This record gives sequence, C-alpha cells and structure tokens, in this order.
Amino acid sequence: MPPTIPAAEPLERIPCQWCQSMNEKAALTCRACGAPLDIRNLVSESGWREAPRLRDMTEFQFSSSTCQVEGEIVPVAEIHLGANDSVFFEHHIMLWKDDNVPLSVLQLPGGLKRAFAGMPFIISVATGPGRIAFSRDATGELVVLPLHPGMEIDVREHAFVLGSHQIDYSFVRVKGLTNILFGGQGMFMDRFVTTNSPGLVLLHGYGNVFERKLKAGESIMVEPGAFLYKDSSVSMNVEFQQLSSGFFGGTNMSLARMTGPGRIGIQSMYVHHHTE
Amino acid sequence: MFCTNCGSPVPDTANFCTACGGAIQHAPTPAASEPPAPVQYSRPVQPTPRSPEPPTPFAAAPTTCPWCKAEISAAQLSCPRCGASVRAPQIRSESGWGELPGRKDMAKLQFGDSFCQIEGLYVPVADVNLAASDSIYFTHHVLLWKDPQLNITTMSLASGWKRMFAGLPLIMMQARGPGRIAFSRDAPGEMIALPLQPGQEVDVREHLFMLATGNVSYDWFSSNIWYTTKSGDDKETHYPVGMFMDRFSAPQTPGLLLLHASGNVFVRDLAPGQTILVKPTALIFKDPSVQMQLHFEHPRAGFSLGFSLGSSSWSNRYYWLRLWGPGRVAVQSVFDRMEGESRYLSNCSPATEQRW
Repeated sequence: MPPTIPAAEPLERIPCQWCQSMNEKAALTCRACGAPLDIRNLVSESGWREAPRLRDMTEFQFSSSTCQVEGEIVPVAEIHLGANDSVFFEHHIMLWKDDNVPLSVLQLPGGLKRAFAGMPFIISVATGPGRIAFSRDATGELVVLPLHPGMEIDVREHAFVLGSHQIDYSFVRVKGLTNILFGGQGMFMDRFVTTNSPGLVLLHGYGNVFERKLKAGESIMVEPGAFLYKDSSVSMNVEFQQLSSGFFGGTNMSLARMTGPGRIGIQSMYVHHHTE
Repeated sequence: MFCTNCGSPVPDTANFCTACGGAIQHAPTPAASEPPAPVQYSRPVQPTPRSPEPPTPFAAAPTTCPWCKAEISAAQLSCPRCGASVRAPQIRSESGWGELPGRKDMAKLQFGDSFCQIEGLYVPVADVNLAASDSIYFTHHVLLWKDPQLNITTMSLASGWKRMFAGLPLIMMQARGPGRIAFSRDAPGEMIALPLQPGQEVDVREHLFMLATGNVSYDWFSSNIWYTTKSGDDKETHYPVGMFMDRFSAPQTPGLLLLHASGNVFVRDLAPGQTILVKPTALIFKDPSVQMQLHFEHPRAGFSLGFSLGSSSWSNRYYWLRLWGPGRVAVQSVFDRMEGESRYLSNCSPATEQRW
C-alpha cells in the first residue's frame, strides 16, 4: 500500500526572500544563495533591504558545485567545483586553489582595451573537479545572485567575484560615472546574461550592501561610487546636480539617476578601482 | 521563545541568539517599577569606575540613556535621540575606556520632526527622512543616495568652512526637507550620534564630521598642536590633530551631530586634572573643557643623547597628545600614520617631554 501523503504538509516549500528559490520547510539557509531563512529581513523605512548576512561557513549549491562562505569581515568564497563545472573571475582575487584545478583564460569579445592597476585585464576560468577560493581586498559582504534563465544584470566594474560557466559575460563603458574626487573618466560595467540555464554570480560589495526594488518609473539618485549592481531593466543616467551657489568652479557633482523597474544594489563604502 | 533582536526562534534557556548573537531578554516586558534583570555577559563589566553616576548602570537604564543621558520612558528599547540600545550592557575596559553603546541594526532616532535610521554594521549608513521644517548640512563626499525631488544646495561661505579635503575645497552642502537622503563614509567603522543640548559644545577633529542638523552652529579654532621637521633645507610643519578643530554647539534648541570614526570607538571621562596620552591621529572628539598639548617621549637608549629638541638630530622619539580633564574624550582604533615622525624636529608647539 503506498504511503498516504498528509495533505499539504510534505509539499510545503518556503521561498527564499532574497533569490526566490524554493526550499524545504525545515531548511535554515537557502540552498541557492545561502541566505538565512529563519530570521527577519532587515528593511529600512526608506525601502532598502540589507543583503542577507550570510552565516559563517554557510554552504549553497549551483549546478554540480558548492560554495562555502567563510569569515565575516572580509568573507572568502570557497568553491568546490563539480566535474565539468567552471567559474570565471578576475585573476587577482584568487586566494588559494588545489594543485590540480586547471586555469584558462576567457576569450573576451571585441578588442576593447582595459587594464586594472597596471595589469592587463584578464578573465580567468577554473574548471572542476577541485577547490578554489576567492576574496577581495577590503571589508565587505558577499552578495549571492542566482540568475534564473533569461536574466540580465549589470555590475560595477571589479565588483564581481565570480560567475558560473552558464553565464555570458561582457562589459560596456559608461561615461561620467565617477565621483568628482576621481575625475570623471568613466568606468566599465560588467554585464551578466543567462539564456537557457540558470547561473550564479557572486559579488563583493564594500562595507554593507543594500538592495531596493524600483517600480516602473520610480527613480532614486545614487552617488556613483555607491552603485553596485542593477537589473538591466533599470536605466542609469548621470546627472550633474544643479547647485544654487556658483563657487563650485570647475568641478561638478554628479549623481546617477536610477529609474525602475527592477532591482538596484548599492554599497556603503566607496573603494575606487580605477580603470585606464 | 524568539530573539528580541532578529526574531529567530531560540531555546528557552539560551542567553544568546544563535542567529544574530544578540543577548536574549528573558523577562518579557518588565513592569516599570522593577528594573530589568542584569544581562549575563562574558566580558568583565566594571560599574563605571570614574563616573559620578550611580554605580549601577543597569538599574538606571530604563530612565536614562547610557550614552546621551536623555530621559526616556522605561518601555523604550532604544534611545530615540541617539539610537543606543538602552538595555544592552555597557562595555567598559578595566582601564576605564567604554565602547559605544550597542546599537540595533536599523535603529531609529529622531531630531526635530525628522527621523534617521542607521543601517549596516561594517560601514553604517545614516538614512535621513527629513521633515519639511528641518534641514541638515554635510560634506559633499559623504552623500550616498537621495530622493530625486529632495533639494541640495551648497552652504554659503559665510559659515566659515575653509578646509581642504584630498586637495579639494571641502564643500559644505545643505539638504532641506521634505524627502529622504542617506550618507556613509569610506572606511569600516562606527557611527557616533552626539545629541547636543542647548549650550552644549563639542570639539571634533577634522574630517570625522558627517552631518549636523541645521540648528547646530559651527565654529573652528586653531588646534595649536604642531611640529616642524627639517630635512636638508626643507622645513615642513605638521598638524597631527589638524590645523583647526571643529567646534559644534547647539545655541538655542537641541541639535544632533553625526560623526563617523574608523575602526572601534572608545570613550572615557577624565576627572579634573587627570591626564592621558593618546595617539594624536586617533582623537575623535573632546569636551571643550579638555585641554591638549604635545608630549615627546624618548626611550632609554645605549648611547648619549642630544640635550635639547632644537639641537638633537636624534629622531627616535614617540609623539603623544596629552589630554587633561575634566571632560569626555573619544579615540578611534584605526588612525592615520603620523607625518614626519622620524625626521629631525626643529620646532614645535608647547610640549612636555619625558626621557627614560
């Protein structure tokens, strides 16, 4: 006799409020993004939600790999790659890896010149099976963004930790999007797109990270140094502030007007990695 | 039962929440007449050694904010004026330095008809909801985001801000309600809320200021802490606490001052005549009643030394800032490197000296 299923109970699933993945009712952390499922979201009255504070040693999965997040002040993302899985990343953020994990270089479309801190800008790829770990250079939070098929997000340059192999990576140059202290040279924005299969993007935000969902047409002015990521449906326009008194002289204060619909993520500490 | 801080379920016997680490309040809502039970805490908690306050901070907690001394009702968990958690134990080292009071993430404080929420733990954000009647002023580089309709303007030069920051003029800006605007700085650290009572003044080292309410008046004075170093024919004058210090006061109505310090913040009250030596670049703020002066300390060495500062070419000495009570002083645990510390010292502001 087949076991009778008590109505509703074993089928009950709870959605993760950060990435919308469905989890078993007893789960304490989301299996797709590691967000704690048992504590209340921290949302400010102005509508910004703090990125989930990942518990030390939290583990989550993507394709046949797992990621464990270690440490809290400058968190480390440790990836256990399954066979045939690979992740791509900027080479200077590698912390350690197993001997036998092969590294290769991602062929970037277009011949656009880009350099980081004097080094050529190279996206490296690590292929499983094996372990590799990454961390950035200052206090901050890891932001886990599982991408469902058909999603597209734009990320501040040098803010991503890694992307999984299902994701198409490209970048664009945005003009005027730098703080006045650094001269308005413009910056690059990394673009991550999924087509048919889901993927994972990990970011490192400096300081604390906050996310907000903008309604269609709703907009917010953000200091360019604070911008971390956005859905590609959110438009970004750099506007020079109209300031009443004229003593600003040659300098301008620019703010980015972000207009919905979509998510926008910001970081509370501004670390500028300048791209020539 | 559930954690009062983050809402996670916790065992009834737990002293701390397994999710957020916050201390668990076992008595649900203590009656106003009975003080809350002292919270178990693993660190040694000294009952305010050098403070004229009654020696039982826990018993006093429901009616007085441990940080800004505001009178608040016993039902409140956090102080509405400075955001401090009222029932959190005060953490004080055996030497007398106290840490900032605990603050819940998303703590909310009020000034005038406006509110400010402090969000995040590593690099906290001050998220201000300005009422139509209120205004604040801030330095231009701390702005994080704002509502599109909220108007910001530069402040007139008459206010006397003549400062440089990273080679650029320090531009003071003003925001008027209604609308929301948020601020943060570029270093991991703590946000310090200093509510100012009418007549109260505080001296702040430069570049730590984040924002002040429109009714807080600003003045500056020469710090008179300097030393000149010489290298060949090059003379350079250094100001380890800044050439000027900012003095903020609330002349008529209560105001609010927000500072951001790097690392952790430690505060202590100096008794009249009591002195302490601190790293000059670690000073955050002090009461105007606290005096300061340079102090040089020469460690014992195995060779003979020059006799006066002016003639000695020996540069192995330590630079200190001597603070004299009475009054409150605060230091930060992350500080800038001192300039010219190893160079030949040719002149300095009045200083005391110790040779070992």
